[in-house]
Amino acid sequence: MATRAFLLTSLLLSCLLQICSGAYFSSLQRTLIVTASPKAGEVLKSGEDKITVTWGLNQSYPAGTDSAYKTVKVKLCYAPISQVDRAWRKTVDHLTKDKTCQHKIVSQPYKASNNSVEWTIEKDVPTATYFIRAYAYDAEDQEVAYGQTTDAHKTTNLFGIEAITGRHASLDIAAVCFSAFSVVSLCGFFWVEKRKSRVAK
Amino acid sequence: MSMEISEPEPQHPKFALPVDSEHKATEFPLFSVAAPHMRAFHLSWISFFACFVSSFAAPPLIPVIRDNLNLTATDIGNAGIASVSGAVFARIAMGSACDLFGPRLASASLILLTAPAVYFTSYISSPISFLLVRFFTGFSLSTFVSTQFWMSSMFSAPVVGAANGFAGGWGNLGGGATQLIMPLVFSLIRDMGAVKFTAWRIAFFIPALFQTLSAFAVLLFGQDTPDGNFKRLNKSGDRPKDKFSQVFYHGVTNYRAWILALTYGYCFGVELTVDNIIAEYFYDRFNLKLHTAGIIAASFGLANLISRPAGGFISDAMAKRFGMRGRLWTLWVVQTLGGVLCIILGRVGSLNASIIVMIAFSLFVQAACGLTFGVVPFISRRSLGVVSGMTGGGGNVGAVLTQLIFFKGSRYSKETGITLMGIMMLCCTLPICLIYFPQWGGMFCGPSSKENATEEDYYSSEWNSKEKEKGFHHGSLKFADNSRGERGRRVGSAATPDRTSSMHV
Repeated sequence: MATRAFLLTSLLLSCLLQICSGAYFSSLQRTLIVTASPKAGEVLKSGEDKITVTWGLNQSYPAGTDSAYKTVKVKLCYAPISQVDRAWRKTVDHLTKDKTCQHKIVSQPYKASNNSVEWTIEKDVPTATYFIRAYAYDAEDQEVAYGQTTDAHKTTNLFGIEAITGRHASLDIAAVCFSAFSVVSLCGFFWVEKRKSRVAK
Repeated sequence: MSMEISEPEPQHPKFALPVDSEHKATEFPLFSVAAPHMRAFHLSWISFFACFVSSFAAPPLIPVIRDNLNLTATDIGNAGIASVSGAVFARIAMGSACDLFGPRLASASLILLTAPAVYFTSYISSPISFLLVRFFTGFSLSTFVSTQFWMSSMFSAPVVGAANGFAGGWGNLGGGATQLIMPLVFSLIRDMGAVKFTAWRIAFFIPALFQTLSAFAVLLFGQDTPDGNFKRLNKSGDRPKDKFSQVFYHGVTNYRAWILALTYGYCFGVELTVDNIIAEYFYDRFNLKLHTAGIIAASFGLANLISRPAGGFISDAMAKRFGMRGRLWTLWVVQTLGGVLCIILGRVGSLNASIIVMIAFSLFVQAACGLTFGVVPFISRRSLGVVSGMTGGGGNVGAVLTQLIFFKGSRYSKETGITLMGIMMLCCTLPICLIYFPQWGGMFCGPSSKENATEEDYYSSEWNSKEKEKGFHHGSLKFADNSRGERGRRVGSAATPDRTSSMHV
């Protein structure tokens, strides 16, 4: 009985800790300035095109704002239009549950300025409309600040990415051949059966 | 294995298993491969398993497919409904095809004709094409009907429930196994160097090839009845070729077939619905990882290994003691309990309790499926295929209706939907009380004491006088004789011809 109570309380505590430990997006300060090479409305091809991202601290904030920043993660994020009717890309304020930014571009130690990366869009990025966001993390790997290429309502400066189809000519040919084989062999069986019964007669 | 007990007719081959007057096996040794009975069993469950694997191969890979094809939640939901709706009419068509051409040709033809839909899944690139391949692949689920027909043709009344239960259950297993197989095949192919959006396409060739090869096995090694294939028996005159219009007529005018179609919609239909929604339910409600939710989803389908066969086995056991009335009562009790557990599943709020209730629910609902097909073989002899097809099709209608009413859009939360589904199960199981056989009785009435309330009268009423003159109904008479065990323990007191006592062990 006592062990059950103990297990239950520790389970509850760990759940609470989980919930409490994650940062909330609304509590983050937008202290980073992030710019990216794609122009608004431009459509890029995954696997081929490159994106150049530059980021740095917004100098209009008082000195010492970035004292806690240890690492920066730059991510590719879904614009609202690509989240419609797709609960697996939902924006949630609690960052451990947030699914807006699912593709990591780069992770680097924090530097106030002169940060730049050129990233070839990976082949598993789906067709959608995107923006780019950079999160600053503290020593406990918790988000403390962010910056993004779009405005607060995520309506400006969005760009599109076109995914690879994943199809190959060899696969298409294999599909056609195997399908034809299935149908033809069925006809073959029927023909053999008919011949056998004719011979038996 | 016991000694052969065959009729004193020199031209018929001796069988490895004991048989009745129709040469149907009266025993069911599960791990034997004796031709033709057990061989037919293994061929039918394996080919049906392959079709289930193909039909539910997409759900575990949805996280990858939805990104590749840019699907919305609505697209995914519609494709899920399409995957089970194709089989509604295909099952009835399959039933008629079995009655006319035999289960071997009917099932192998269907499997080979739907295999292209699985191969072409690697070709698709839009939501519409996704819906179409799932729709056409779903047609292969009608091999269920040929499985049940084949087992009812190969196995005698005392074991037909168990044979149908194992064949159906082990085939349904494919729906659970695919949740484990497809992600595994996908990761293997991806580790070999393929990109995600190509790896899932290649992965679909596995179920497609499995399907094609199982159809070949059925054609090469199977036969329709213990005495041979339909075509040969038709030609030699041993089996009169039947007319589609008559077969269809006697199926659809039998009210019992319609009742079972409705009730099967609320055990098997519920099972299909749960297959489609349960992973998402656990993932969302309890914040599990997709991988974990997938394993729980798989366990629901994997319970079919024992639960559906148990249903068939219990049906046979109840029939030995209480006859057809025992089969009907047990079906009603088990399916009602399944409905109660479904209501509870929607109400429990903790993960562990949910898993336990879900497992109990899966056992009862799948056993009810097995129990249903303990009754189906007795509803009609001439139109066995059509009746099996109507019942099977009714199962899919139940799945379509349930998903449309309770699980489309955001009208009801998933847990409310599950509870309401349970209530609907309770209501739609009640009509079993209305099933009545003059020779055996029903749930609340005993058998009729009229002169013409015998098994022979019931089954030969499906043939008109002209057909009876030509002797077409002799197969039905044999079956009537062999089904006398459905009277229960009272058989000893009823007047039975001497012949039967030497057949039944």
